[in-house]
Amino acid sequence: MVGQGVQSLSMTPSSAQTQRGLTASLLIGPATVFVAVSLLVPMAILFRYSLNAFVPGKFMVDALTLDNYIKFFTDPYYSSVLLRTVRVAMICTVVCFVLGFPLAYVLARSQSRFKNLLVILVVLPLFVGNAVRAAGWMVSLGNKGAFNQLMIGFGWIDQPIEIMYTEAAVLIGIIAVNLPYMVLTLQGVLEGIARSTEEAAFSLGATPLVMARRILWPLAMPGILAGSILTFILAMNAYATPALLGGPKFQMMGTLVYGQFSQQNNWPFGGAISFILMTATLVLTSLSQMLIARRYHVS
Amino acid sequence: MAKLSLDSLTRSYGDLTVVNSVSLAVPHGEFLVLLGPSGCGKTTTLRMIAGFVEPSSGSIHIGDQNVTAKPPWKRNCGLVFQNYALFPHMTVAENVAFGLEMRQVEKSEMGKRVNDALRMVRLDHLGHRYPRQMSGGQQQRVALARALAIQPDVLLLDEPLSNLDAKLREEVRIEIRELQRKLGLTTILVTHDQEEALTVADRLVVMQDGHVRQIGTKRDLYERPADRFIASFIGRSCFNEGVITRSGRFETEDGLVFKVLDTGASGPASLALRPERFVIGDQAHSMDNHFTGTVEFVSYLGSSIDAHVRLGSSTKMVVQMANRDGFIEPSEGDALTIGWAQSAGLTYPRNQGSISQGGQVS
Repeated sequence: MVGQGVQSLSMTPSSAQTQRGLTASLLIGPATVFVAVSLLVPMAILFRYSLNAFVPGKFMVDALTLDNYIKFFTDPYYSSVLLRTVRVAMICTVVCFVLGFPLAYVLARSQSRFKNLLVILVVLPLFVGNAVRAAGWMVSLGNKGAFNQLMIGFGWIDQPIEIMYTEAAVLIGIIAVNLPYMVLTLQGVLEGIARSTEEAAFSLGATPLVMARRILWPLAMPGILAGSILTFILAMNAYATPALLGGPKFQMMGTLVYGQFSQQNNWPFGGAISFILMTATLVLTSLSQMLIARRYHVS
Repeated sequence: MAKLSLDSLTRSYGDLTVVNSVSLAVPHGEFLVLLGPSGCGKTTTLRMIAGFVEPSSGSIHIGDQNVTAKPPWKRNCGLVFQNYALFPHMTVAENVAFGLEMRQVEKSEMGKRVNDALRMVRLDHLGHRYPRQMSGGQQQRVALARALAIQPDVLLLDEPLSNLDAKLREEVRIEIRELQRKLGLTTILVTHDQEEALTVADRLVVMQDGHVRQIGTKRDLYERPADRFIASFIGRSCFNEGVITRSGRFETEDGLVFKVLDTGASGPASLALRPERFVIGDQAHSMDNHFTGTVEFVSYLGSSIDAHVRLGSSTKMVVQMANRDGFIEPSEGDALTIGWAQSAGLTYPRNQGSISQGGQVS
């Protein structure tokens, strides 16, 4: 290693370049191979499965048909699950942004020596697994759960409020999980915006609201975009939270895929749903990315 | 009537008082520099004037208006920051126009005023550029144009030159000074760089530990530093320790007696002498003080030469000699007679614990 620098000096430019290329491929190689083997290969197989036919009793039968995709879009039940998933993901993203932005701003501008502690508090929910957290919500939000017991105990309500196994429960659950991602992404970007930039706007006559709209918002846009996309993707693909808090009747795309694979043993249809979910996520995120990028000149 | 006045302005954070009862009156059109080492409270003072830091007590008037409780966006102060603080997502022209938009200047007038402001800093041909496409010096000039465009009551400059390299610093410094003169703008500049302070200031305010140590013109500060700190901070002084035995007499620790400027004080004191105030050779004999010592160390500085001359076991003087035609510098070990006027010897009563080596230059 010590002699390498000297050695490369005496090499011809082309051989130095070859060596640099070699070093680069050594650095990115392992991760690339891992992703290819663990993600792309199974996905290719899954896609091939989604074109197979499902015959009750015989499970998967080799075929080359779009029937599974047609079935999904012609059956109103399945399209409604897709719509619900998109709606839940969008609501979660908006709520995460509205709750997360002020929090991220305070964190980014904080000069407190407890700042690291605050960041850990934000990340703390991620220390608990999805299933464990959902179980906690079940205990507290059920009809006989702590929340309803408390409300009845204080005499504020007569009947327990139905929260468990509703969309509200699922929304609360997903927002709780996704909020840290939004906050951390926004915090990173907001910290990159110098406080003096804001102060310059103030000194030029901008009120805090005008400053936020004209300076902070456009400058934070890359972070808002990244945080929203991250939150949206996570919400679109949520599984444990809708399964545990939404109950068996509340279906999102994630739970639907799981049901097809492990309960119905319908691998071709499960594969088709997976690809529809993936495509929907990709299309919606790239669309919003493009629209916002054009509007705010971010790349 | 003063354009800007601070009255017993104080800011404390818990037990720590960073600005301690600062009072200033800045007449219209004056270029005032707040000078001091880092942590002396100069930046906090500026930020209180701008409205970013709330004073713990005291008041700030701009013109005849008490602005102490006003938020920054209602103060009409033009601000220039060390890091330029341009809006990176706006073009140069949009940056300059921002303050005018906030003042709801009409579209037709806006273009002209933006152009005027940019012409003042000779950047009217680059209005379409983004800040990232410009050099540091250009960016700072845009920031200056942006601050000037709003026709501020007071222009506040927070170490505006610190991020620029030496040559650019000189250039932008002169530019700021000329614009300030031309526009007759009341200006406050904060800096820790005394050279910068001395080139631009009409008056200087030297701060230390949250207190104003001295206010005055460059000449006041250099000729009659109010305390030992300023004598060492503004220009160079060489210090020797001793005692003021009677009026106008200073006895060093090793028993030499010097005639010094009579301040009426007595007791332990430091003697400060400017290195360029010494005369050497035959001329020295006609001075109020003249002593012969040994040259210990010579340092060649180009336009001048410093000789460290030992007069006694603890007394050492730093003598600056102009490098004139045919000047033959003394060598180390030579005997050299040096002399100085009584009025050049400034004494400062010594505080406990600040005793330093003889001949120390700072």
